[in-house]
Amino acid sequence: MINNIKKLVKEFSLGELRGGMKITAKELVNKKITVQYPEEKTPISPRFRGLHALRRYPNGEERCIACKLCEAVCPANAITIESEARDDGTRRTTQYDIDLFKCIFCGFCEEACPVDAIVETQIFDYAFVDSREGSIIDKAHLLEVGDKNEKMINQTKLEDSKYR
Amino acid sequence: MADIEIEIDGNVVNAKAGEMLITVTDREGISVPRFCYHKKLSIAASCRMCLVDVEGAPKPQPACSTPIADGMKIHTQNEKAKASQKAVMEFLLINHPLDCPICDQGGECELQDVAMDYGSDVSRFTEGKRIVADSDIGALIQTDMTRCIHCTRCVRFGAEVAGIMEMGGTGRGEDLKIEPFLEEGIQSELSGNMIDVCPVGALTSKPFRYELRSWQMNAVSNIARHDLVGSNIYTQTYKGKVKRIVAKDNDSVNETWISDRDRFSYEGLAHENRLLAPQIKVEGTWKEVEWDVALDFATRGLANNVFNARQADKLGALASNTATLEEFHLLQKILREVGSENIDHRLNVKDLNNAISLESNIKLAGLEGVDHALVIGSNLRLEQPMINHRLRKANLSGTSIDVINAMAFDFNYQLNSENIISPNQIAATLAGVLKSVLQSAHAQIPAYLDDVEVTDVAVQLATQLSDSDNSVIILGEHVVNNPQALSIANLISQIAQNTNSTTLNVSASANSTAANLAGFVPGKGGLDANAMLAADLKAYILLDIYPQYDFHNSIQATETLSNDDTFVISLNSFKDDVVAGYSDVLLPIASFYETSGSHVNVEGLVQSFAAAVNAPSDAKPAWKVLKVLADLLELPGFHYADSTQVTSEVMHQSHKQHVHDESIDVKAKRGVNVIWQKSPYAVDVLSRHAASLQATKIGQINSASMNKATAKKLEVTQDGEYLGVPVVVSEAVANNCVFVNANHSTGGQS
Repeated sequence: MINNIKKLVKEFSLGELRGGMKITAKELVNKKITVQYPEEKTPISPRFRGLHALRRYPNGEERCIACKLCEAVCPANAITIESEARDDGTRRTTQYDIDLFKCIFCGFCEEACPVDAIVETQIFDYAFVDSREGSIIDKAHLLEVGDKNEKMINQTKLEDSKYR
Repeated sequence: MADIEIEIDGNVVNAKAGEMLITVTDREGISVPRFCYHKKLSIAASCRMCLVDVEGAPKPQPACSTPIADGMKIHTQNEKAKASQKAVMEFLLINHPLDCPICDQGGECELQDVAMDYGSDVSRFTEGKRIVADSDIGALIQTDMTRCIHCTRCVRFGAEVAGIMEMGGTGRGEDLKIEPFLEEGIQSELSGNMIDVCPVGALTSKPFRYELRSWQMNAVSNIARHDLVGSNIYTQTYKGKVKRIVAKDNDSVNETWISDRDRFSYEGLAHENRLLAPQIKVEGTWKEVEWDVALDFATRGLANNVFNARQADKLGALASNTATLEEFHLLQKILREVGSENIDHRLNVKDLNNAISLESNIKLAGLEGVDHALVIGSNLRLEQPMINHRLRKANLSGTSIDVINAMAFDFNYQLNSENIISPNQIAATLAGVLKSVLQSAHAQIPAYLDDVEVTDVAVQLATQLSDSDNSVIILGEHVVNNPQALSIANLISQIAQNTNSTTLNVSASANSTAANLAGFVPGKGGLDANAMLAADLKAYILLDIYPQYDFHNSIQATETLSNDDTFVISLNSFKDDVVAGYSDVLLPIASFYETSGSHVNVEGLVQSFAAAVNAPSDAKPAWKVLKVLADLLELPGFHYADSTQVTSEVMHQSHKQHVHDESIDVKAKRGVNVIWQKSPYAVDVLSRHAASLQATKIGQINSASMNKATAKKLEVTQDGEYLGVPVVVSEAVANNCVFVNANHSTGGQS
């Protein structure tokens, strides 16, 4: 009985509405947390797993040695590698494709790599505008991503290294 | 040996006294880690990985070299055993590089596997690791000797199985190196097995280098068809291509070994020369067409040239010796259905009235049990490596071996006597042997032996055969075109009968036993291969034939087949200019490992196999092509769903054996005799296209050998050529004989 009366009073005095407006009024003067993407971006953890990249050594030699451990460990079978002995006798890939539609960004490839060649960068804003086949990125593309973002990759790996 | 009881890990196990402990644990399925122990090699006990704890022994004992005794109590898993195994593992890993990611053995490496169980996760070794320089040991084996753990399996393999000690250990301790003694590299015809026995990545396959990881491939059981043995193999495939071949165990056929020819010939499958699309020749130019168009063209051609004129006997079929049992059967069935008996596979025989027919009545494994062997006309080591291996094993346990050859070859065992006899004298010599055998048995001597002179050599050979309880006479390929081939074969069966010997006929090649089983020989009224080519037939069906290599007289054969009014249907797996020159239809067929079928080896063992991969592009298995061709010709009885139905049909039919000529001519002939022998790695079209095999020393054998007197008679010199083959003047060859080993196409031969 008492409860019903309380409820009636609250309803007729617009209690719910005033409560909501109170929050609106508070947020009106508070500091904004919205960012203006893509001009502004939120901070990303160094462990973020985005677009893949193949790295090089400082002397320009590609790191990948075609051991195919990433291909073996990939739970989504997203990686395809073909290898051969390069003219100088070293073991190298002739093909290194990642199908980004299949990839589940688990980061196992990075974990499996014995030479830190394949890494997942913080890049997440890529798109395949031309065709569905564009989802398969090849070795040249991966190396290009690596070359462009080596500084960022180095930085994030360094930040994360003390926890590993 | 008495049965005794021992206790392993608390379980009582029965075993024979004197057996090595590791044999017992292997039989019982108890795992003991090992590197240097290999069941087919001698015991080295050098790796110490198999240390186990034997109660009463102060120190752990190596299981591979500890003979068991009654009441022995062994612990393979207790603390003492584990601790010593882990300690050994740590020492082995001190100098082993951590390059598993780039090592071809990675994923199938015994060291990797054992290190997972016994290795420590952290190395305590902080000093520098040793590095060993590699040496180039040929086109087949890649070395990375830094990875070597000195198990010496390859050294023991060379010394004990291959019979040529090519690898060896030099230096001691830290400086111990396993390396070839000579700079020429490894030259054994069984060298590829070193790759299989190497427990680490020190010896790996060179053609396969860095291509794939072991876990990427599917292994399909298969049969190698290059020789008369039919070695059991695994074809390892990836994305529809054969990428590697390794041996499969079969103690009654090839044990654990295979020859290099069986192992590396697969490279030819990917050769650019493969025939990929059906082609028809219209007004002299080749046109690629669909299968139905080509087959229709073929059947119309047969109708125009043969059937419409009711001249079925003007149709002939010839097949290469590498075809499968099913292909032989279907092709002869087509011919016999349409009413032609012109069927043959014996293309390299000069005179088919003089063809050898000698039964083989010994099993391959049985060769190890003989106490004496007489080898006639064969370079067994290179021509039939696995048969030679059995004989070598027998020889090591005391079998005496006599050889009658036209040239001194490099045998990898001790010969009792090597008789270098001109081909013209072989029949006379064997007649002497027979006479001597009969004389010593006080048997009646037939009239044809009256004038035969019994030489010292003949007496010695005869005594050996008569004195042994279990001897074998092996007849080889070099006798095929001997002017007295038939007499030689008949003399051998006479000698065998009178000395209680068994015989082994290795004069044929590849799958020709299957051809005989399927009845792929001319029937009554039919023409044999030579007669067919002389008779100017109207149409031919040719199965995987390359005239320059396959025919005895390739120039004459090519000329006959090139006749304008002759219609030639060629089923080929590889392109060939000469074939294209005379054919009217070219049908691309599957090569080795791309078709299902059966191989029949020299002892008559039928081994069926499935296709490991699909044939490339438009090529189809020949048995299917022949079946469809038969359907288009509206022949009855060709309703097969798969090749096994063909196989069972062959096995249920019986072809009448030829009544063969028993005549014996023992007179020594005159004149120079040419033995024309394809080089060991040029015996079939697949090996000829395998680049790595061709790059080996054996692959490059190409010479016409003769002695000085013969060279003078033929007016050739050391720098010259004979029949298009470079001349080698050597006194290793018998008088009046030219021994040709050709690895390339040539013109005719005398």
